[in-house]
Amino acid sequence: MLVVDDDLRTAQRLAKMLREDGFEVEVARDGAAAIARFTRDPVPAVLVTELEIPHVGGVAVARFARSQRPGLPLFVVTVAPNLVNSDDFGSPPPLLFTKPVAYAAFRDALEVSLRPDGARRPTSDLGPVPPT
Amino acid sequence: MTQETRFQELKRYVRFTEVDASLLGAFRDQSDQEFPRIALEFYDRIREHVEAHRVFTGEEQIQRLQSSLVLWLNRICSGPYDDSYQEQTSQIGRVHVRIGLPQRYMFTAMALIRIALLQIADRRIGDSAGPTRDALNKVLDIELAVMLDTYRDAYVDRIQQSERQERRDVGGELARAKHRYVNAVELSNVLTVGLDRNGTVQLFNREAERTTGFARDEVFGLPFVTALKLEDLAGELPALLAKGLSGELPSQVCETTLCTRAGKVRDVVWHLSFAGEQADDEVVMFAMGQDLTDKKAMQERTRQAEKLAAIGTLAAGLAHEIRNPLNGAQLHVSFLERAIRRQAPDQEMLEATTVVADEIRRLANLVSEFLDFARPKPLQVKPVSLIALCEHARTMASPLASTSGVQMRCDLPGADVEFRGDQDKLLQVLLNLLTNAIEAIVGSTGQVVTLRGRREPRHVMIEVEDDGPGVPTADAPIFDAFYSTKEGGTGLGLAITHRIVTDHGGSIDVLSRSGATTFRVRLPLNSLQEIKS
Repeated sequence: MLVVDDDLRTAQRLAKMLREDGFEVEVARDGAAAIARFTRDPVPAVLVTELEIPHVGGVAVARFARSQRPGLPLFVVTVAPNLVNSDDFGSPPPLLFTKPVAYAAFRDALEVSLRPDGARRPTSDLGPVPPT
Repeated sequence: MTQETRFQELKRYVRFTEVDASLLGAFRDQSDQEFPRIALEFYDRIREHVEAHRVFTGEEQIQRLQSSLVLWLNRICSGPYDDSYQEQTSQIGRVHVRIGLPQRYMFTAMALIRIALLQIADRRIGDSAGPTRDALNKVLDIELAVMLDTYRDAYVDRIQQSERQERRDVGGELARAKHRYVNAVELSNVLTVGLDRNGTVQLFNREAERTTGFARDEVFGLPFVTALKLEDLAGELPALLAKGLSGELPSQVCETTLCTRAGKVRDVVWHLSFAGEQADDEVVMFAMGQDLTDKKAMQERTRQAEKLAAIGTLAAGLAHEIRNPLNGAQLHVSFLERAIRRQAPDQEMLEATTVVADEIRRLANLVSEFLDFARPKPLQVKPVSLIALCEHARTMASPLASTSGVQMRCDLPGADVEFRGDQDKLLQVLLNLLTNAIEAIVGSTGQVVTLRGRREPRHVMIEVEDDGPGVPTADAPIFDAFYSTKEGGTGLGLAITHRIVTDHGGSIDVLSRSGATTFRVRLPLNSLQEIKS
């Protein structure tokens, strides 16, 4: 998955914890880098993005990502969920998380969205049990 | 032979006999258990009519009146139909006159009672109901006739009073001048009150009548300040009059509150002008008043709206500035907690991370609540059922009530009322009020929280009442943001409640005395245009 957030310290901490829990995570610190990443294979299976990020906004990143991978699961992390218009993102609608995000609930939601693809590979004994 | 009384004559006119009396007695024995229902329906109907409903002062009074109506139904069916019976009916009539109930409602209301009673007679007695129906019609018309007389008596009194007034005016030069300018005074939208040198009312124009609810002949001859309860002016008026009469003070502007016939308070600015000592008229001072109440309320609403818009912008910026760092803090605390659990599970350190996480959550909740208040989502207006709304709120509040040992009562109208509003937000309003009420009485002598819904002519009224110790002081700014008396409260609950109600074009008031605190929400029935989106 790709995590896009301009708060690099927090994004990398999140990536580290998710990796410990068995996810493959990359981090982009702005919209341009995120779009660039979606032009390369393997295209990420999940996009986690802030809305207000430098260069290109979260909505545009999400649209581009879905043009590369239709139906891509979207996780939108925001300070103002009431200002988000889910229709901007196409189908299926994004899952919204309001900052501050509770890590456990966030991880569980990621897990559910990835399970059908079987893309989860646990590397940590604290992580979730892999599907067999 | 003694002379026939008016009442005896009435009975003779409709041929009301002992047979009618005993038929009514038998009817009562069969039907009195239905009387409370008639009373309930009777007052529910009044709620739909502005002018009829205006004479009521509140729910307590309506409940009292419902019991009186049941007593009255029993009385008209059981007699004895003597002079003291007539006096009791006259007393009811005099109350109607005193509270200003328009006569037409006596007839239309009596039609309701009549239909209800005749239907009962048909249902219970069947084919042989004829004589009982006749007796009911007779006794109800006697009631109407007696009550009508009280209106007549009051009318005669008023005519006599105004004739006396006219006789006082006759012959005066100013009386003719007054006649010339009468239209100018009567048609203007300024309250015009003329006072004599003692400060008693001698002139009271149509606008004054309209604003205060008093008819001119009710206030003629009464002191200006007591008739309209002008408390701000009470002490000053004699001195003002003296200065005005001596020519020391040609005019004066002052602002007062006045109390209308219905007990409502209105803000009025008065321009006092003095006719001077030489004026050949007993009216020496004119008070021209302008009712500022609505204008002030409008200004207040505009100010409030501007303030909220500014706070909304601020809140959005603040949310951004607070939630971002909180997100970082929260994630790092989760990371720390995980690291401690892995390496050396130390209870004290784990506890410390829990405290930090809790505090972050608390701050995040505060931000969310503040955003709810300052930058709410637009209303999703749909038809709302009063009964369903109240039942839903009751269900959601009952777990808290039962764990707090508080009894919750619902007092809802017999017929549902549908109005337009945002169901979820109104539910939030009721839940806030119910939660506050329950929390307010825990640990006090109070035990009961009542959720009451009623229809009014143009509004839906919802009350949440508790029998606790009451709000701390009457002037406490309880609807202001960040005012709280609760341990750990954000002080935003009532501010949000207030905002939701006013966004619906409604109003919320609190009436508090020891042993009963009532939050009363009024929402407009046809609020489509009024609702701000």
